[in-house]
Amino acid sequence: MAGRTGPVLPATTQGTEWQVNLARKLAAKLVTGLIMIWVVATATFFLVLEMPGNPALTVEANDMSHGMSPQQAASATAAMFGFVPKQPLADQYRHYIWQLLHFNLGVSIAQEGTPVSHIVASAAPWTVILAVFGIIFSFLIGVCLGVLTAIRRTTRLADGMTLLGAIINGLPVYLIAILLFYVFTTIWAIFPQGGNVSVLENPGWNAGYIGSIITHAILPVACYTLAGVGAWQLTTKSSVISVLGDDFILAAELRGLRPLTVARYVARNAMLPLFTILAISLGLMFGGAVFIEDVFNYPGLGQLMISSITTKDFPVLDGAFLLIIVAVIAANILADLAYPLIDPRIRSAAGASS
Amino acid sequence: MTAGAEAARSEPARSEPAPARASEHLDGSAAVRVRDLTVAFPTPDGPLPAVSSVSLDLVRGQITGLVGESGSGKSTLALTLLNAVSDPGRVTSGSVTIDGVGDVLALHGKSLRRVRGASIGYVFQASQNSLNPLKPVGKQVLDLGRSHGVADLRGLLREARSLLDDMGMNAERVLASYQHELSGGMRQRVGIALALVLNAHLVILDEPTTALDMLTQASVLEIIRKVHARRHLTTLIISHDIGVIGDLADRIAVMYAGRIVEDGPTRQVLASPRHPYTRGLLTAMPRIAGDIGQAQPLPGRPPDLTSIPRAGCVFRPRCPLATDACGQAEPPVTERGDQRFACFVAAGEAS
Amino acid sequence: MSTSSISSIALPPEQLHEALQRSRRQRATRRWRLFVSTPGRIAASVIIVFFTLMAIIGPYLYPKNLPINPHDIYGAPSLAHPLGTDFEGTDVLALLVTGSRYVLFAAAVAAVITLGIGTLAGLAAGYYPRLAGSAIMRVADFVLAIPGFPVLIVLATIWQFGSPVAMGFVMGVFGWGGIARAVRAQTMSLRERGFIEAARGLGLPGRRIIFAEVLPNIAPYIGMNLMLAVTAFIYTEVGLFFIGVVSYTTSNWGVMLNQAVFQAGAATSTRGLSYLLSPLICILLITISLVTLSGAVDEFFNPRLRRIR
Repeated sequence: MAGRTGPVLPATTQGTEWQVNLARKLAAKLVTGLIMIWVVATATFFLVLEMPGNPALTVEANDMSHGMSPQQAASATAAMFGFVPKQPLADQYRHYIWQLLHFNLGVSIAQEGTPVSHIVASAAPWTVILAVFGIIFSFLIGVCLGVLTAIRRTTRLADGMTLLGAIINGLPVYLIAILLFYVFTTIWAIFPQGGNVSVLENPGWNAGYIGSIITHAILPVACYTLAGVGAWQLTTKSSVISVLGDDFILAAELRGLRPLTVARYVARNAMLPLFTILAISLGLMFGGAVFIEDVFNYPGLGQLMISSITTKDFPVLDGAFLLIIVAVIAANILADLAYPLIDPRIRSAAGASS
Repeated sequence: MTAGAEAARSEPARSEPAPARASEHLDGSAAVRVRDLTVAFPTPDGPLPAVSSVSLDLVRGQITGLVGESGSGKSTLALTLLNAVSDPGRVTSGSVTIDGVGDVLALHGKSLRRVRGASIGYVFQASQNSLNPLKPVGKQVLDLGRSHGVADLRGLLREARSLLDDMGMNAERVLASYQHELSGGMRQRVGIALALVLNAHLVILDEPTTALDMLTQASVLEIIRKVHARRHLTTLIISHDIGVIGDLADRIAVMYAGRIVEDGPTRQVLASPRHPYTRGLLTAMPRIAGDIGQAQPLPGRPPDLTSIPRAGCVFRPRCPLATDACGQAEPPVTERGDQRFACFVAAGEAS
Repeated sequence: MSTSSISSIALPPEQLHEALQRSRRQRATRRWRLFVSTPGRIAASVIIVFFTLMAIIGPYLYPKNLPINPHDIYGAPSLAHPLGTDFEGTDVLALLVTGSRYVLFAAAVAAVITLGIGTLAGLAAGYYPRLAGSAIMRVADFVLAIPGFPVLIVLATIWQFGSPVAMGFVMGVFGWGGIARAVRAQTMSLRERGFIEAARGLGLPGRRIIFAEVLPNIAPYIGMNLMLAVTAFIYTEVGLFFIGVVSYTTSNWGVMLNQAVFQAGAATSTRGLSYLLSPLICILLITISLVTLSGAVDEFFNPRLRRIR
């Protein structure tokens, strides 16, 4: 339509000011995020030290019992784990941080010699892909239901849906996981009983493999979706109701704006609070991942964490944990930064915290 | 004065004013005719009227002021002129005829939407938040144009610019701004500009100066006066501040508990108010140069929907002149020249 | 002249006072009726009371070591065992009742700790936004952002917080972020309403204002959030036992689930269904009840949500 790119409007008064502001905020958030990661990494370092049975010592003792001299054993262990077990604490710590900055998470104990980063990197995609699809589906379904219950909020159906959403939102993830597992693999054996892909298929981009991945992923993704849909639905509903009651919507209608335009006004304004829970939902997804992967025997980060506890493979536990934390903090920073981009009111407030 | 007007004056009280009346300035044909309008809201005690059997004329080219306390129904009345009574309220009787539009209450959907903004401009009571906070003003002007099928959007922006400039603002800057970057007075002026940018000839301003400081109030009122004159508008101003109305309006209508208790040319009504409520309002106003003790507030509180007396005159509980007759039936409208009022006692005095 | 249709100001003082009292009582009755109006809410309250009693009194009704019965493994529900038996032949109902104490006790401890830390932090942040506000909120955001479960799992490797008090403590310390945020938001909105400024203007000391003015106003809101937090706590502790990272001395619902799903394979066969489902259903009931009740509290104190029924 002619008007789309039509008359030239003057550039926003805020001009480049807010972009400079944004850059400044980006720097500040990055620093905060790095500090948080550092705090967590340090805490984990001390935790690992506290963990029963210092793994390095175990391996060292093992080596020595196989006939190595103490020095040889020490250097072999150092080569494996990246540090010498009996070094003074400060040195160990420095070494640890240095390794982290090089993305070296150490070496696994259970799978002797394999770098933790490899193990974690091969498990991560399985968690991330499932969680991402879960977030997408729960978002889509949740927002639609939320809008519906907001528009028709005087009906009993809307009341019922809202209550249902609130209840599902309050259910523990493992409850959903166990029930889904039980109903759809045991009672009605529709889906495979766990695992991420059938061992009978050859890995690669062939239909069988991909198909098997998909069938194995459906139930876990359904779990993620159900776990998250309630929050989206309830937040969307309250946000839409609140915006519908805003003065400018009535003003828009009284000025004769097209219903479609008014709907767009409502949508963009109602979306704002949803953004804040986007960051939180990622964190919750990781928490749920532990249960879902446990019940469905899915080889992701969650299962990695649990199995590494059983095998006392603490470097792996450490590595998986750090990866999860970094991902969550990064997502939070991104969300914080993106907010001024979508809400112009925040741009002017220089130095305002969330 | 025409013979018709003479005849109208000497006849006994009628509920409808004569269609063509001599008034102070212009040709006097009514641009808006409200007849016997009733708007009711459902309550636990049954449907109650927020506006009850109101008949009012807005004379073309004049500023009419509607005065009343909060809860008097004036905003509901204003919204009815746009057929925009909010759910669950409903128009249960009456008509609203606007020149060039017809019976507004019969319009729905697209035809109603066309009228809003293009034929009738409405300036919000809470102009502080009447804009989309996420879009610059200019873009919203364009949205307005597109919704009304305006072909020449550049022309529309030019018109908006000239309106804003006229009101003493930096038009370029304002069009590029978001709502939160504008002060209260500026937002009010933008609201007025948006109501006029599509060349509406009927403009309704609901409490245009509430929530503004005194200086800004004065400048906004001046702008309203100027714009009204320049564009030959028919304007309705709603306010609880009788000072604002007295300053600006050619005609004044006083509302109480959903009924119009008095209306007429402003100077006349303010000089010789007939209805006890109007008198009370005027006595309650402190004069800027005078003893504040002279101002006497009206006793009691304005009624809400549920505390309006069911029988008799609605003002009776607070009226110093109430008689037994006032409790029997609602007083009919009496006419004295250009002034109308609904009061048994005042009717008796006037004859 | 009927009094009901005339504005109350027209009444003489004594009648006015009585009229006000009457209307206050009517309002209170109407509110109470609203609260118990839905059968759902009555049911919810009953359920909560029931489980609380179960947790307190229940374990006294059973011997310390529950009997096992190798002849009746995965028994179906019967008169002797209304909920069937587990993989050792122990009565499921007995397991449920004895396990409830841990679950509810730990949740209660966590609730108290979260309430304490969260409320104080939120009040301080809301009342002194410039001094303490953003610092406290940074910490709260940090606590809130970090995914709770992975943290607790890692923590469990060095400290077996199996006792209900320890479990409650850990959950409370990591869970106060949400309440702090909510309390701070409410305190700040009270600021907006001039409440606090008015009290300050009267010369009241800060602490008095916080505890005598602000707190009573936000108390229902805190109550609501607390109920929802308790559901999260139950969820968390049962979950930790379920995945088996915390060692246990006494059985509880999480342990039941763990044994059922991972050790006894109850999730892959149709036997022992009641064994698998019992703890789940209990959690489900408690969750639904708490969510319903918190909604009722919300409606009670937030008249906008009420509708003309």
